[in-house]
Amino acid sequence: MRRARYRKQKREGFKRLSDISSGESVKILRVNARDKLLYKLLDMGFIDGTVINVIREAPLFDPMELRVQNYLVSLRKSEAQLIEVERV
Amino acid sequence: MIKVALAGQPNCGKSTVFNMISGIYQHIANYPGVTVDKKSGRFKAGDREVELVDLPGTYSFSSYSAEERVAKDVILEEDPDIIVNVVDASNIKRNLYLTFQLLEIGKPVVVVLNMMDVAARRGIEIDSHKMAELLGCPVVEASGAQGKGKEEILQALKLIWDQKSSFEEFRLNYEGLEPFIQKLQRDFTKIDSVVSSRWLAIKALEQDMQIIQKLEKMQRGIAQKAKEYRLQFHEVLDRDPESFLAALRFDSADIIYHKCVVEKQKDHVTATDIADRFILNRWLALPFLFLVMFGIYELSIVMGYKITDYTWPLLAAVKNFTVDILPAANFTEVPVITEFGIWMVNSANALLNYIPIFLILFALIAILEDVGYMPRMAFILDRLFRKFGLHGQSTLPLVLGGAFVGGCAVPGVMATKGIADDRARMATILTVPYMNCLAKVPFYTLLLGAFFKAEMALMMFYISTVTVFIALIVAKILTSTVLKTRETAPFVMELPPYHLPTFKGVVLRAFERVWIYIKKVVTIVLAVAVILFALLQFPGLDEERRAHYAQKSQEALSYFDNRVRGSDYYALVDTKEEVSRLLNFYDGYKMKRMTASGKEGAQAVDSEYKALNPEFFKFVKPKGDAEARKINRPLRKLSRMRKKILMDIKDEKVENSLLGMAGRSIEPFTQYAGFDWKVNVAFLSSFAARESAVATLGSIYENNKTKEGARAEETMAQNSGYTPLHATAMIIFMILTPPCIATMIVVKFQTGSYRWMLFAIFFPITLGIATAITVFQMGVHSSLNGVEAMTFFYVSVLLTALVLGLMPQKRINWSGGLPQSKVRDLH
Repeated sequence: MRRARYRKQKREGFKRLSDISSGESVKILRVNARDKLLYKLLDMGFIDGTVINVIREAPLFDPMELRVQNYLVSLRKSEAQLIEVERV
Repeated sequence: MIKVALAGQPNCGKSTVFNMISGIYQHIANYPGVTVDKKSGRFKAGDREVELVDLPGTYSFSSYSAEERVAKDVILEEDPDIIVNVVDASNIKRNLYLTFQLLEIGKPVVVVLNMMDVAARRGIEIDSHKMAELLGCPVVEASGAQGKGKEEILQALKLIWDQKSSFEEFRLNYEGLEPFIQKLQRDFTKIDSVVSSRWLAIKALEQDMQIIQKLEKMQRGIAQKAKEYRLQFHEVLDRDPESFLAALRFDSADIIYHKCVVEKQKDHVTATDIADRFILNRWLALPFLFLVMFGIYELSIVMGYKITDYTWPLLAAVKNFTVDILPAANFTEVPVITEFGIWMVNSANALLNYIPIFLILFALIAILEDVGYMPRMAFILDRLFRKFGLHGQSTLPLVLGGAFVGGCAVPGVMATKGIADDRARMATILTVPYMNCLAKVPFYTLLLGAFFKAEMALMMFYISTVTVFIALIVAKILTSTVLKTRETAPFVMELPPYHLPTFKGVVLRAFERVWIYIKKVVTIVLAVAVILFALLQFPGLDEERRAHYAQKSQEALSYFDNRVRGSDYYALVDTKEEVSRLLNFYDGYKMKRMTASGKEGAQAVDSEYKALNPEFFKFVKPKGDAEARKINRPLRKLSRMRKKILMDIKDEKVENSLLGMAGRSIEPFTQYAGFDWKVNVAFLSSFAARESAVATLGSIYENNKTKEGARAEETMAQNSGYTPLHATAMIIFMILTPPCIATMIVVKFQTGSYRWMLFAIFFPITLGIATAITVFQMGVHSSLNGVEAMTFFYVSVLLTALVLGLMPQKRINWSGGLPQSKVRDLH
């Protein structure tokens, strides 16, 4: 079932949050984190279906600044990679 | 008594609300999770006594951070009657996420909508009556910063307390999860807790280990049951309960938001957005950060150091006063109690001297915290620091420790408190002491002046820049070895909106932190000073040497006696006691004159001493009196002779003291680094406070051949028999040397363990001596001179840091993500 969903997402061109460039808005499809990181992301509002606005990258290109649930948060790209998104 | 717990997310202004209602000052910061300490206050609301417990700011009520565990412990163990939930009215949706978790606990909740003024400014309108109806709890509008809402909050507390009997537990319908919650609740046959069993069941299904362990203790097998239900739920809905619950809570928060909140300027660009366009701009961010750091450094370390010129006379006055009240010396026989008193005052003064610096520094840090720049600093530099196992938030501690020439490890280590990632925090605590501490600078200048006159600038450049690389290397080593298993936190960090700090908040916090420094650090350092005094005093001189010095004193006295015999005033100074008194009078006068400021101060000292003893004063300031002058000149000479004898006695005492013996006993080993016992003693005593290394070395190398008034640098170059290579080895050891006692104590407080404190002492010693030996031996065998050896050291450090920094990151800091097989499927 899960595999099927991935294939579907792939067909529709899902992306990773880490690949999204500044100024774009995306919707969370799935958070592939586990344990502590998953809890933290959920608590900070990274819920499936939530719209994220990528504000900017840090001057050294990592981490990235996002707007989620109407507040600003910073996320390392290694973690952003675990979040599947689609363009809205 | 009503017990009230105050809960809220970071940056919601919880601390200001705490201060407002309890009237007790408490630490405030605009930095996620800075209030890790639990604070409480008691006050009266009408005729009832209220105890208010401040919970740490948490985004949620799971147990994935220390703050959350602490918060939950308070709820479970202290059993508060009411929970007051502070909500940032300008960021209501995310804040309500926590509110739902608090309501679930099954205790009455009062929601305080804080920062209503900020919300109003941003065009956010909130219908608090409607919200109260929907949530089934009182909702109070407030503004902690403006002091609004105190009465209303107290009233709400009273209302809830009076209506306690009619309170009904809050229930959020968890749809698909409901059957499992109820099943697990029915399994709780032996669970007895002050909180709602429904909440416990939800937490157990959420796999909250803290709660599961508690339940398992009361009833074995519960953990297994919870696990089974989780799996069953997963089979039905293809989701984990935790993400299901989080989504449902956010949905519920969304419902409240849509029903009660109207945002008039929804896509309005805020001041924070505009400011961040410059402050976090790719090209401007680093220069701006550098400016801020440089500004802090200039204002606190440089300007603070200048202020100590004005505060030092105050401390000197304390010392003079102590000298006055202690028993006076009988020529060269100084009572032990007097020596001890002066030693203690000197030790205290050495630390208290830094208070102006700390006060400015702590005020500036408080401003940075309140403004909201701290997390942004972490955002800008995280990538660089992460490579070495540190965190973006390590920037400030390292700068305070002395990223430029001279800082102080004490505030540096204290500033590590806000770092969320435990491993990075520990690594920062343990590396800050490698930075260039202010008190190391005189030591460097002494050695550079003595051995590297021509290459001073180059050597100073090496010394001041090498420390950063050393700190990074050490951090990398520690985080991949001893700290490897420490807990890390994901870097999911809020960048709060900018706030203007309040004057009162900043000043109070600066004083509070300085007070902590005085209370905790100075007291312990004084205790250690007592021990050091004993180590330096005992066993003291033997009979023969004492007789030797007694004879020297006698010679000095007869010299004086012969010279003053011709004076008309001879009758006043013809016994040893009288001469001794006169000498003390003279030295006391000189010392006071030296610390007196301006003409008026000098005149005041003059008249004080004139009143004290008009006869003696004539000898001190003979003016036109020729007979008095006959005494004045020999007196001055005698004073110098006495100082010389006292110094010799002191040096010999140090040499024979326990500390001196320790220095000798390690000489066979340290000689490979070129250190003789004198250097060892200097390093050992520098542990008390780094300043004393210079004093010890300086005094050890002063000897008879030295001409009066020669500077320490010259005497050292002439008398020590060291080559510049020796000096290089010393400098390298000093760069890596363990922090002073004051720092150790702060390390103990921040790490919470003596084991880490001991590690923080012995790791640098080992590293320092090993490096010093390597460089020294290298220098000896390849006949390098001092500068060449230092260059070799510098280049090696630089290369090591570069290699470590460029090494690819092999592991992610935590476990997570999909199983490996699934990840492979993705590609």
